[in-house]
Amino acid sequence: MSEKQFEPLIITFCCYWCAYAGADLAGTSRIQYPPNIRIIRVQCTGMIHPNFVIEALTNGADGVLICGCHPGDCHYLEGNLRAKARAEAIELMLEDFGLEPERFRLEWVSASEAQRFAQVVTEMVEQVRRLGPSPYRMAV
Amino acid sequence: MIRLTINNQEVEVPEGTNLLTAIERCGLRVPTLCYHKALTPYGACRLCVVEVHAPGRAPTVQASCSYPALEGISVFTDTERVRRARKITAELLLARCPDSEVIQRIAAEYGVHEPRIKKKYDDCVYCGLCVRMCQERMGRSAIGFTGRGPRKKLEPPFGKHNPMCWTCGACDFICPVGKKVRSLTSPNIPIPILNPYNMGLNERPAVSIYYPQAIPNKPAIDPQGCVHLKYNACGICDVVCEAKAIRYDQKDETIQLNVGAVILSPGYDIFEPKANNDLGYGRYPNVITSLQFERILSPSGPYGGMVLRPSDLQPPKRIAFIQCVGSRDYERDYCSAVCCMYATKEAIIAKEHAGEDLQCDIFFMDIRAFSKGFEAYYETARKLGVNYIRCRVPKVEEVPETKNLRITYLTDDDRKVSKEYDLVVLSVGMQPPRSVRQIAETFGVRLNQFGFCETSVFSPVETGREGIYVAGPFTEPKDIPETVSQASAAAAKVMALLGEARGSLIAPTVYPPEIDVRGQEPRVGVFVCHCGTNIASVVNVPAVVEYARTLPGVVYAENNLYTCSNDSLERIKQKIKEYGLNRVVVASCTPRTHEALFRSAVRAAGLNPYYFEMANIREHCSWVHSHEPEKATEKAKDLVRMAVAKVKLNDPLYPRPLKVCHDALVIGGGLAGMTAALALADQGFTVHLVEKEAQLGGYLRRMYYLLSGEDPQAALRRLIATVTAHPNIRVYTNAKLVEVKGSLGNFESKIAVGGNGMTQEIRHGVIIVATGAETYRPTEFLYGQDDRVMLHQELEERIAANGFKAKSVAFIQCVGSRNKERPYCSRTCCSETIKHALKLKELDPDAQVYVLYREMRTYGFRETYYTKARKLGVAFIRYADDRPPTVVNHNGKLSVIVRDETLGETIQLLVDHVILAAATIPRDENKELAQLLKIPLSEDKFFLEAHRKLRPLDFATDGIFLCGNAHSPLDIEEVISQALGAAARAATILSKDTIELEPTISHVVTENCDGCAYCVDPCPFKAITLVEYQVNGETKKRVEVNEAICKGCGTCMATCPKKAIYVWHFRPEQLLAEVRAALGLAV
Amino acid sequence: MAVRLAQEWFAICGGCEVTILDVGEPLLDILPQLEIVHMPVLMDHKLYGQTGEGTEPEIPEADVGIITGGIRNEENRRLAQEMRRKCKTLIAMGSCACYGGIPALANLSTVQELYEKVYRESVSTDPDGIPSEQVPPLTDRVYAVDEVVPVDIKLPGCPTTPELFVEALAALLEGKPLSLPSKSVCDECPLIREKKAVSTLKRPLEPIEFKPGEPLNTVRCIMEQGYLCLGPATRAGCGGKEGIPRCIRAYMPCRGCFGPLSDTANPMVDMMGALASIGLDAKQIPDRAATFNRFVGAHGRLRPMPKGGRPV
Repeated sequence: MSEKQFEPLIITFCCYWCAYAGADLAGTSRIQYPPNIRIIRVQCTGMIHPNFVIEALTNGADGVLICGCHPGDCHYLEGNLRAKARAEAIELMLEDFGLEPERFRLEWVSASEAQRFAQVVTEMVEQVRRLGPSPYRMAV
Repeated sequence: MIRLTINNQEVEVPEGTNLLTAIERCGLRVPTLCYHKALTPYGACRLCVVEVHAPGRAPTVQASCSYPALEGISVFTDTERVRRARKITAELLLARCPDSEVIQRIAAEYGVHEPRIKKKYDDCVYCGLCVRMCQERMGRSAIGFTGRGPRKKLEPPFGKHNPMCWTCGACDFICPVGKKVRSLTSPNIPIPILNPYNMGLNERPAVSIYYPQAIPNKPAIDPQGCVHLKYNACGICDVVCEAKAIRYDQKDETIQLNVGAVILSPGYDIFEPKANNDLGYGRYPNVITSLQFERILSPSGPYGGMVLRPSDLQPPKRIAFIQCVGSRDYERDYCSAVCCMYATKEAIIAKEHAGEDLQCDIFFMDIRAFSKGFEAYYETARKLGVNYIRCRVPKVEEVPETKNLRITYLTDDDRKVSKEYDLVVLSVGMQPPRSVRQIAETFGVRLNQFGFCETSVFSPVETGREGIYVAGPFTEPKDIPETVSQASAAAAKVMALLGEARGSLIAPTVYPPEIDVRGQEPRVGVFVCHCGTNIASVVNVPAVVEYARTLPGVVYAENNLYTCSNDSLERIKQKIKEYGLNRVVVASCTPRTHEALFRSAVRAAGLNPYYFEMANIREHCSWVHSHEPEKATEKAKDLVRMAVAKVKLNDPLYPRPLKVCHDALVIGGGLAGMTAALALADQGFTVHLVEKEAQLGGYLRRMYYLLSGEDPQAALRRLIATVTAHPNIRVYTNAKLVEVKGSLGNFESKIAVGGNGMTQEIRHGVIIVATGAETYRPTEFLYGQDDRVMLHQELEERIAANGFKAKSVAFIQCVGSRNKERPYCSRTCCSETIKHALKLKELDPDAQVYVLYREMRTYGFRETYYTKARKLGVAFIRYADDRPPTVVNHNGKLSVIVRDETLGETIQLLVDHVILAAATIPRDENKELAQLLKIPLSEDKFFLEAHRKLRPLDFATDGIFLCGNAHSPLDIEEVISQALGAAARAATILSKDTIELEPTISHVVTENCDGCAYCVDPCPFKAITLVEYQVNGETKKRVEVNEAICKGCGTCMATCPKKAIYVWHFRPEQLLAEVRAALGLAV
Repeated sequence: MAVRLAQEWFAICGGCEVTILDVGEPLLDILPQLEIVHMPVLMDHKLYGQTGEGTEPEIPEADVGIITGGIRNEENRRLAQEMRRKCKTLIAMGSCACYGGIPALANLSTVQELYEKVYRESVSTDPDGIPSEQVPPLTDRVYAVDEVVPVDIKLPGCPTTPELFVEALAALLEGKPLSLPSKSVCDECPLIREKKAVSTLKRPLEPIEFKPGEPLNTVRCIMEQGYLCLGPATRAGCGGKEGIPRCIRAYMPCRGCFGPLSDTANPMVDMMGALASIGLDAKQIPDRAATFNRFVGAHGRLRPMPKGGRPV
């Protein structure tokens, strides 16, 4: 066997109404994607405080992915738009924490977009894999 | 029962079980190619070998599929010896079928990537699955092995096609290496079972879940495709289903229900072009219907959301949409009302999916973007490069070599153009459901000339037979919001009829008293589900259970074959008592389907249902990582650890009961307000009806005749009389709402009555906004300067008073609508103009009537009157959007100068009168009311509903509803539907004594909140207010959450810079505990 | 018996020492109870013995030790350790001691960059060399005192307030615990809050809307007026006796000198989240990290910016 590939760990926040359901549909449709994500269920992407993302990243997560409803589809009207605004702020702050912008991503995934969910996750995992482990990762 | 150990784990299995089954029962996996649960073991592939230690005998290596589970033996599935044996086998198999992905994967698991011996490039591994399948399950024996040793061959008897073959395709289905076995046995090609949900664009098995969102989300057997039901063979699904849920004997049943009312909402069928249609549908593969295209665009559709065309599954570069297929023709003289917009939507989505370069041409007659927000959407489409070509396409021809399609059409300036497309989408219209005659006969309802259910303008959901109501496109082609409104309207009628029986069939669940476990150390019980093989075939369930036991706080863990089965639920309850568990984690499937069930079990054991978490190790793990069992097992452990970390921090939560005041406030005493008030009053609720004018009636007071012939004044008089006399309605005229406090269920309002400073206070549970709209007062076309230029209503009043005579009249459409200032369509004016034109022709058949229009938007059955007007000689002259007509006084006559776009020439009309179809505009007072009620306005300044399509009558704020022209311009029938619908929506609240509100809402942490007020404005529901309070003589500030309004979205929690507000069940500590647990940190 | 007091100053401007003077008359009541045994700003005390014979710095035993300033060099570090050894109770006074303060803005750069800037690139210096003799070496970054030695009491503020200082001393003398306010500056701020929807940020030089002398409770929240105010993420307590935040009293926005609401809070993340939520495009905020962490750059809140690619 060649050198063991780096397996990133990506914290994924999914809104319960769209993205979580999309991830479920990926399951029922048996669409395969890398097992590197850990989904945390939230009611709405609008409830994700930038703190959660920064805490995750500065505690050793290799990446953070947030998946929510498409604009206009938010169960709570505009939570996803707030999430978008906060994501822009988070992207700015990644630099201040010495983290590459590619370690964080906000994506819209509807309840029916199983394929898209799998694709987003696959891309994210590959993207973070290329970056290597988080500088905050504890030495193992 | 036989007892043995597998990898040192003790197992009990029934006698006669083979080792492989026993191993799988332990949640372990061994590779196999030739074993199938539904077929007799064959021992051909030798991959499933394991080491068997029988007492007193030397260990042997045996194929576990064909070796029985024996008392007292010890089995080892992963010893060095076993691995060596499997590795050699895998290498030999790989040499035989080096191209098979399945074998490559198995070989790779044992470290074989290249065989050391010569590759044979065979397409058969001689596993015999197809042979056994055909013989044992299908009883056909259409295929078998011939020859021996190196000459062994898979072939039908005599090497010829075998008449015994049913072409069932089971052989192809079961072959692990993808060999096309069926082609050996039969020249026939199986007829696929087309997936009706995807409009026949792809196939589905004979047993399947109908579509991903189906409720219940359970598979069903298609009796037409099932070999078992047809020939009593196969039956594999019964063997495979671990839950033993297959029931072949289930039959359609006739159920008798005793009901007090019936709502008919059978929907519609799409128009299917006839076999030899000129548009090539059914003949050319790349001519499809709009509903097929809708499925192609869907992520769960036949091509996974990729825009491909059926003939070659290539992405089209040019798509043509042909409008009015099956609408607005000789036979179907009505407009289907939805096709213009769905074609526009499909074009936009197609461009989104396939890229901007995708050419989308829409061939249309009139673009009928008449509903709220549609005109703006149409504009967006044009900006995005969707081409609209005004031409009715007569014919589509196929280019046989490419399967492309050619459309020849006339341009605006009369040039003949021929264009080629890769895909043609027919915008098929709505038709009455095929079973319409039978429905009509069964229920005794009348159908109109086109076969839709007949209703009348003033009773849009009534069929003429009491107790039978109707909703949806069954009455007339209509879009989603209109359908939703009408459905609610039908419900309102039923509730008025059956109000007394409300709630009488509901049986509440009774739970034991709840145990208070606050302050106790968490004692977590973890239940890990095998879900048959759904989870256990990938995730090592026993390992997960073992791991769960090591987690801090976990005092009990076990695995279940099906945690959701009744006996498992009982076990959970029992273990809660036995081990004094105060928290429960179930690691199984998605909470979206099973959380309620488990919570209810936890509650039944006396725990608060929120002391429960689920770890989704099926949808989010075993099903999506089925080729990576080790990693999936690790992930499952992580998910369990996260759930345990969270559940320890969970709080007991309770639904909050909210007492409801049963009175309603209706603002606006026009047709909408009165109808809504009456509908609620008829259900027994007290209604306060507030009208700003001195009289009830609103705009309807100025209408004297209708297209359909009814007398609006008579209807209005009846309505006013009923409303005024109704014991449950209190009418306030010359009245205005000046103050509103409270929220859903408990409003307190002040009404200024009579304009003399007197106010009256009322309490009510809901508010219905029915404030109507106004008519635009034009400044153009000499209106206000020349008496002969009039608006619709002025003409109507003159005609009603017998005071109108004219030999020639010109109507000008879109006065004040669809322009820069008001970029929306006023919806009703086209039909109103037709109404007046017909009236004028009725009064004087020789009168010259001209209609100057941009697009005639006579949707639905209004189209029939448009046709009638044309037949009667009304001249329709189309002017371009940017070239409005001009009106001048020409020697005493009114001269209308307009460029006729159809003729391509400018013409002058000398007429006696010019009638302006003036826009319907929102009231200025809307802004004030919006602020008072904290409800939003749209860009056009009409009120903005919660969801354009699905919640047209609700506001985002609970307890406030909307209907009538305050929503958008609507005609009488639509206003009544909306008003009844809004009443039904309101009744869902008023009919309850208390409302149970979700407990997962925001909570202010008083110790941390200092009223910086950042969270106030981001709240989408305006549930947060800043309040002042006194402490030690100082004025301090903090925020308060209105619990009746809060929906728990958590926008406030993510805004707060000081952790002073959170959503119950999603507290930052809980979410961060999950994050930390996921990262393997101490929680 | 008088309480023996030792005081030491590190990377600091001296403002906190002035705060002690600023206590005013009450100081006269306190002073007799104190015996100052070490305080470089007042008295000359030889750390290495009268003749410099010692090898390690030495400070007399004391009941109370006060440190102002953060740890910038190895001498600071050693002295801090000596203070901890010799003082029963150790007070970190002022934001520099508590959170790094203004000197910790240097944490945005590496030590090497600092040397380059100060000793080579600066136009006023002779680009000769970096002095290494007779000066203690710099630490790799500026540390708060509690990152080096345990601290018993923290008195934040730049400078801290005389009231807080007196309260702390009084509490110590009486043997009572001192608790700092847990709420933010907004708790003490009397300005009116109407609607937080700020889309563009005003520059600090643009005039804030108020009439001179106007009562504060009629002036609109300065953030709502469009000026960046760190009040919501800054600990309250700067208001002293009047209980009104110092900067607000002067019609100026809070700059965050009292530090974060908790040791784990990050004012930048909290404020960026809040500001993004009310519609402000965070790109408008100049010098983001330094603006939000102006006084709290220790504890890893400020770190050198990665220069191309890998983070530091």
